[in-house]
Amino acid sequence: MNKKTIQKTKWFWAWNDDKEEAWLGQMASEGWHLVSLRLPGNYLFEEGSPRQDVYRMDYISNPKDYQDYLQLFKDAGWEHIGRMGSWQYFRKSVQGNQVPEIYTDNTSKAQKYQRVLVTLVILLPILTVFVTRPAVEGGPWYDLHSIIKTLLSLFLIFYVYALVRIFNRILQLTKK
Amino acid sequence: MDQSKDKSKFLPLTEATSYILLALDEPLHGYGVMQKIDQLSKGTVSVGPGTLYGAFTTLERDGLIAKVGEEDRRKIFRLTSLGRQVLQAQIQRLDILVRQARSIGESI
Repeated sequence: MNKKTIQKTKWFWAWNDDKEEAWLGQMASEGWHLVSLRLPGNYLFEEGSPRQDVYRMDYISNPKDYQDYLQLFKDAGWEHIGRMGSWQYFRKSVQGNQVPEIYTDNTSKAQKYQRVLVTLVILLPILTVFVTRPAVEGGPWYDLHSIIKTLLSLFLIFYVYALVRIFNRILQLTKK
Repeated sequence: MDQSKDKSKFLPLTEATSYILLALDEPLHGYGVMQKIDQLSKGTVSVGPGTLYGAFTTLERDGLIAKVGEEDRRKIFRLTSLGRQVLQAQIQRLDILVRQARSIGESI
Protein backbone atom coordinates (compact mmCIF):
# COMPACT_ATOMS: atom_id res chain seq x y z
CA MET A 1 0.00 0.00 0.00
CA ASN A 2 1.32 3.36 -0.96
CA LYS A 3 1.29 6.01 1.66
CA LYS A 4 -0.42 9.26 0.88
CA THR A 5 1.90 12.17 0.29
CA ILE A 6 1.42 15.88 -0.12
CA GLN A 7 3.67 18.63 -1.38
CA LYS A 8 3.69 22.01 0.25
CA THR A 9 5.33 25.20 -0.83
CA LYS A 10 6.15 27.63 1.91
CA TRP A 11 8.88 30.18 2.30
CA PHE A 12 10.82 30.94 5.46
CA TRP A 13 13.73 33.33 5.85
CA ALA A 14 17.01 32.24 7.40
CA TRP A 15 16.43 34.41 10.50
CA ASN A 16 13.04 32.73 11.03
CA ASP A 17 14.24 29.15 11.00
CA ASP A 18 12.60 28.58 14.39
CA LYS A 19 9.24 29.30 12.73
CA GLU A 20 10.04 26.73 10.07
CA GLU A 21 10.94 24.18 12.76
CA ALA A 22 7.69 24.90 14.61
CA TRP A 23 5.66 24.52 11.40
CA LEU A 24 7.26 21.13 10.64
CA GLY A 25 6.48 20.02 14.20
CA GLN A 26 2.90 21.20 13.78
CA MET A 27 2.57 19.20 10.54
CA ALA A 28 3.89 16.09 12.35
CA SER A 29 1.35 16.52 15.14
CA GLU A 30 -1.33 16.46 12.42
CA GLY A 31 0.11 13.25 10.98
CA TRP A 32 2.20 14.72 8.15
CA HIS A 33 5.86 13.79 8.37
CA LEU A 34 8.58 15.45 6.33
CA VAL A 35 10.14 13.05 3.83
CA SER A 36 12.32 15.23 1.66
CA LEU A 37 13.12 18.69 0.37
CA ARG A 38 13.45 18.99 -3.38
CA LEU A 39 13.67 22.68 -4.07
CA PRO A 40 13.98 25.66 -1.75
CA GLY A 41 10.63 26.11 -0.02
CA ASN A 42 9.27 22.81 -1.38
CA TYR A 43 8.43 20.17 1.22
CA LEU A 44 7.22 16.61 0.70
CA PHE A 45 5.19 15.07 3.53
CA GLU A 46 3.98 11.53 4.07
CA GLU A 47 0.84 10.66 5.98
CA GLY A 48 1.21 8.65 9.17
CA SER A 49 -0.01 8.63 12.72
CA PRO A 50 0.32 11.98 14.52
CA ARG A 51 3.58 12.30 16.44
CA GLN A 52 5.12 14.73 18.87
CA ASP A 53 8.36 15.32 16.99
CA VAL A 54 10.84 18.12 17.31
CA TYR A 55 12.36 19.45 14.10
CA ARG A 56 15.66 21.29 14.18
CA MET A 57 17.74 22.87 11.45
CA ASP A 58 21.47 23.25 11.41
CA TYR A 59 23.64 25.22 9.01
CA ILE A 60 26.91 23.64 7.94
CA SER A 61 28.47 25.38 4.98
CA ASN A 62 31.42 23.18 4.10
CA PRO A 63 31.53 19.91 5.97
CA LYS A 64 34.83 18.18 5.29
CA ASP A 65 33.68 15.37 7.52
CA TYR A 66 29.98 15.25 6.67
CA GLN A 67 29.66 11.55 7.52
CA ASP A 68 31.15 12.07 11.00
CA TYR A 69 28.83 15.02 11.47
CA LEU A 70 25.75 12.96 10.56
CA GLN A 71 26.93 10.05 12.70
CA LEU A 72 27.19 12.30 15.75
CA PHE A 73 23.59 13.47 15.33
CA LYS A 74 22.44 9.89 14.72
CA ASP A 75 24.16 8.67 17.88
CA ALA A 76 22.40 11.44 19.80
CA GLY A 77 19.05 10.18 18.51
CA TRP A 78 18.46 12.69 15.71
CA GLU A 79 17.20 11.47 12.36
CA HIS A 80 18.63 13.31 9.37
CA ILE A 81 15.81 13.90 6.90
CA GLY A 82 17.70 15.80 4.26
CA ARG A 83 19.37 19.01 3.33
CA MET A 84 18.58 22.09 1.34
CA GLY A 85 21.82 23.74 0.38
CA SER A 86 23.75 24.04 3.62
CA TRP A 87 20.63 23.69 5.79
CA GLN A 88 20.37 20.31 7.48
CA TYR A 89 17.00 19.02 8.66
CA PHE A 90 16.82 16.81 11.73
CA ARG A 91 14.00 15.28 13.74
CA LYS A 92 13.71 13.64 17.13
CA SER A 93 10.69 12.38 19.01
CA VAL A 94 9.77 14.08 22.26
CA GLN A 95 9.93 11.93 25.35
CA GLY A 96 8.47 13.37 28.52
CA ASN A 97 8.40 17.10 29.05
CA GLN A 98 11.88 17.87 27.87
CA VAL A 99 12.24 19.33 24.38
CA PRO A 100 15.45 18.01 22.82
CA GLU A 101 17.80 20.58 21.29
CA ILE A 102 20.74 20.30 18.91
CA TYR A 103 22.16 23.53 20.35
CA THR A 104 22.17 23.55 24.12
CA ASP A 105 23.64 27.00 24.71
CA ASN A 106 23.27 30.43 23.13
CA THR A 107 26.99 30.74 22.35
CA SER A 108 26.94 27.77 20.00
CA LYS A 109 23.54 28.70 18.60
CA ALA A 110 24.88 32.15 17.73
CA GLN A 111 27.74 30.45 15.88
CA LYS A 112 25.23 28.78 13.58
CA TYR A 113 23.91 32.20 12.48
CA GLN A 114 27.48 33.46 12.20
CA ARG A 115 28.09 30.76 9.59
CA VAL A 116 24.99 31.91 7.67
CA LEU A 117 26.23 35.48 7.88
CA VAL A 118 29.72 34.60 6.63
CA THR A 119 28.25 32.88 3.55
CA LEU A 120 26.16 35.95 2.75
CA VAL A 121 29.01 38.39 3.32
CA ILE A 122 31.27 36.44 0.93
CA LEU A 123 28.71 36.90 -1.86
CA LEU A 124 28.17 40.60 -1.16
CA PRO A 125 31.18 42.01 -3.11
CA ILE A 126 30.31 39.89 -6.16
CA LEU A 127 26.78 41.25 -6.15
CA THR A 128 28.02 44.81 -5.64
CA VAL A 129 30.37 44.54 -8.61
CA PHE A 130 27.50 43.47 -10.86
CA VAL A 131 25.28 46.30 -9.70
CA THR A 132 27.89 49.06 -9.98
CA ARG A 133 29.53 47.95 -13.22
CA PRO A 134 28.67 50.52 -15.94
CA ALA A 135 26.92 49.33 -19.09
CA VAL A 136 28.31 50.05 -22.50
CA GLU A 137 26.01 52.77 -23.84
CA GLY A 138 24.46 51.96 -27.19
CA GLY A 139 25.75 48.39 -26.93
CA PRO A 140 23.51 45.57 -28.14
CA TRP A 141 22.57 44.50 -24.61
CA TYR A 142 22.03 47.99 -23.19
CA ASP A 143 18.30 47.68 -22.46
CA LEU A 144 18.60 44.23 -21.03
CA HIS A 145 21.55 45.34 -18.97
CA SER A 146 19.64 48.16 -17.30
CA ILE A 147 16.72 45.87 -16.50
CA ILE A 148 19.01 43.32 -14.93
CA LYS A 149 20.81 46.06 -13.08
CA THR A 150 17.56 47.38 -11.61
CA LEU A 151 16.56 43.89 -10.48
CA LEU A 152 19.98 43.31 -8.98
CA SER A 153 19.84 46.64 -7.15
CA LEU A 154 16.51 45.69 -5.57
CA PHE A 155 17.98 42.34 -4.66
CA LEU A 156 21.00 44.04 -3.13
CA ILE A 157 18.76 46.19 -0.92
CA PHE A 158 16.92 43.11 0.29
CA TYR A 159 20.23 41.32 0.73
CA VAL A 160 21.49 44.00 3.09
CA TYR A 161 18.18 43.78 4.98
CA ALA A 162 18.74 40.02 5.37
CA LEU A 163 22.24 40.65 6.70
CA VAL A 164 20.86 43.04 9.31
CA ARG A 165 18.16 40.57 10.40
CA ILE A 166 20.66 37.73 10.84
CA PHE A 167 23.11 40.02 12.59
CA ASN A 168 20.31 41.00 15.00
CA ARG A 169 19.60 37.35 15.71
CA ILE A 170 23.26 36.86 16.67
CA LEU A 171 23.14 39.92 18.94
CA GLN A 172 20.01 38.63 20.69
CA LEU A 173 21.70 35.32 21.39
CA THR A 174 25.01 36.75 22.58
CA LYS A 175 23.54 39.50 24.78
CA LYS A 176 21.89 37.13 27.24
CA MET B 1 54.51 34.93 23.48
CA ASP B 2 54.28 34.28 27.17
CA GLN B 3 52.48 31.04 28.01
CA SER B 4 50.01 32.37 30.58
CA LYS B 5 48.87 35.03 28.13
CA ASP B 6 48.43 32.31 25.56
CA LYS B 7 46.06 30.44 27.86
CA SER B 8 44.06 33.44 29.00
CA LYS B 9 42.65 34.09 25.54
CA PHE B 10 40.57 30.92 25.93
CA LEU B 11 39.15 31.93 29.30
CA PRO B 12 36.54 31.85 30.66
CA LEU B 13 35.31 28.63 29.10
CA THR B 14 31.58 28.11 28.76
CA GLU B 15 30.03 25.49 31.00
CA ALA B 16 29.63 23.14 28.02
CA THR B 17 33.26 23.59 26.92
CA SER B 18 34.53 23.00 30.46
CA TYR B 19 32.66 19.71 30.62
CA ILE B 20 33.79 18.68 27.13
CA LEU B 21 37.44 19.18 28.10
CA LEU B 22 36.89 17.40 31.41
CA ALA B 23 35.30 14.43 29.62
CA LEU B 24 38.22 14.26 27.16
CA ASP B 25 40.68 13.42 29.91
CA GLU B 26 40.25 9.98 28.34
CA PRO B 27 39.92 9.38 24.57
CA LEU B 28 36.25 9.44 23.56
CA HIS B 29 34.07 9.90 20.49
CA GLY B 30 31.26 12.43 20.33
CA TYR B 31 28.47 10.35 21.76
CA GLY B 32 30.79 9.08 24.50
CA VAL B 33 31.43 12.71 25.46
CA MET B 34 27.69 13.40 25.65
CA GLN B 35 27.09 10.41 27.91
CA LYS B 36 30.04 11.23 30.12
CA ILE B 37 28.92 14.85 30.56
CA ASP B 38 25.48 13.62 31.56
CA GLN B 39 27.11 11.46 34.21
CA LEU B 40 29.75 13.99 35.37
CA SER B 41 27.22 16.81 35.72
CA LYS B 42 24.69 14.53 37.43
CA GLY B 43 22.23 15.41 34.68
CA THR B 44 22.50 19.18 35.16
CA VAL B 45 24.22 19.75 31.81
CA SER B 46 23.38 18.16 28.50
CA VAL B 47 25.24 18.99 25.32
CA GLY B 48 23.40 18.70 22.01
CA PRO B 49 25.13 17.40 18.86
CA GLY B 50 25.16 20.83 17.18
CA THR B 51 26.89 22.39 20.16
CA LEU B 52 29.31 19.48 20.44
CA TYR B 53 30.24 19.40 16.76
CA GLY B 54 30.93 23.14 16.82
CA ALA B 55 32.98 22.80 19.99
CA PHE B 56 35.05 19.92 18.53
CA THR B 57 35.82 22.00 15.43
CA THR B 58 36.91 25.05 17.43
CA LEU B 59 38.79 23.14 20.12
CA GLU B 60 40.68 21.08 17.55
CA ARG B 61 41.57 24.21 15.55
CA ASP B 62 42.82 25.92 18.72
CA GLY B 63 44.84 22.86 19.67
CA LEU B 64 43.06 22.17 22.97
CA ILE B 65 41.99 18.72 21.79
CA ALA B 66 43.40 16.41 19.14
CA LYS B 67 42.05 13.54 17.10
CA VAL B 68 43.63 10.32 18.31
CA GLY B 69 41.67 7.80 16.26
CA GLU B 70 38.58 6.93 14.34
CA GLU B 71 36.00 4.21 14.83
CA ASP B 72 33.12 3.61 12.38
CA ARG B 73 32.99 7.22 11.17
CA ARG B 74 33.31 8.49 14.74
CA LYS B 75 36.32 10.68 15.46
CA ILE B 76 37.99 10.03 18.78
CA PHE B 77 39.43 13.06 20.55
CA ARG B 78 41.61 13.63 23.55
CA LEU B 79 42.80 16.59 25.57
CA THR B 80 46.20 18.01 24.53
CA SER B 81 48.68 19.43 27.04
CA LEU B 82 47.54 22.95 26.12
CA GLY B 83 43.94 21.83 26.65
CA ARG B 84 44.90 20.47 30.06
CA GLN B 85 46.54 23.78 31.04
CA VAL B 86 43.49 25.76 29.94
CA LEU B 87 41.18 23.42 31.84
CA GLN B 88 43.33 23.76 34.97
CA ALA B 89 43.22 27.54 34.73
CA GLN B 90 39.44 27.40 34.37
CA ILE B 91 39.14 25.11 37.40
CA GLN B 92 41.21 27.60 39.43
CA ARG B 93 38.82 30.39 38.49
CA LEU B 94 35.80 28.29 39.40
CA ASP B 95 37.43 27.17 42.63
CA ILE B 96 37.79 30.78 43.77
CA LEU B 97 34.18 31.43 42.83
CA VAL B 98 32.90 28.36 44.70
CA ARG B 99 34.93 29.16 47.83
CA GLN B 100 33.68 32.74 47.91
CA ALA B 101 30.12 31.66 47.19
CA ARG B 102 30.25 29.13 50.04
CA SER B 103 31.57 31.59 52.62
CA ILE B 104 29.24 34.41 51.63
CA GLY B 105 26.37 32.05 50.91
CA GLU B 106 26.31 30.86 54.53
CA SER B 107 25.45 34.35 55.71
CA ILE B 108 22.76 35.00 53.08
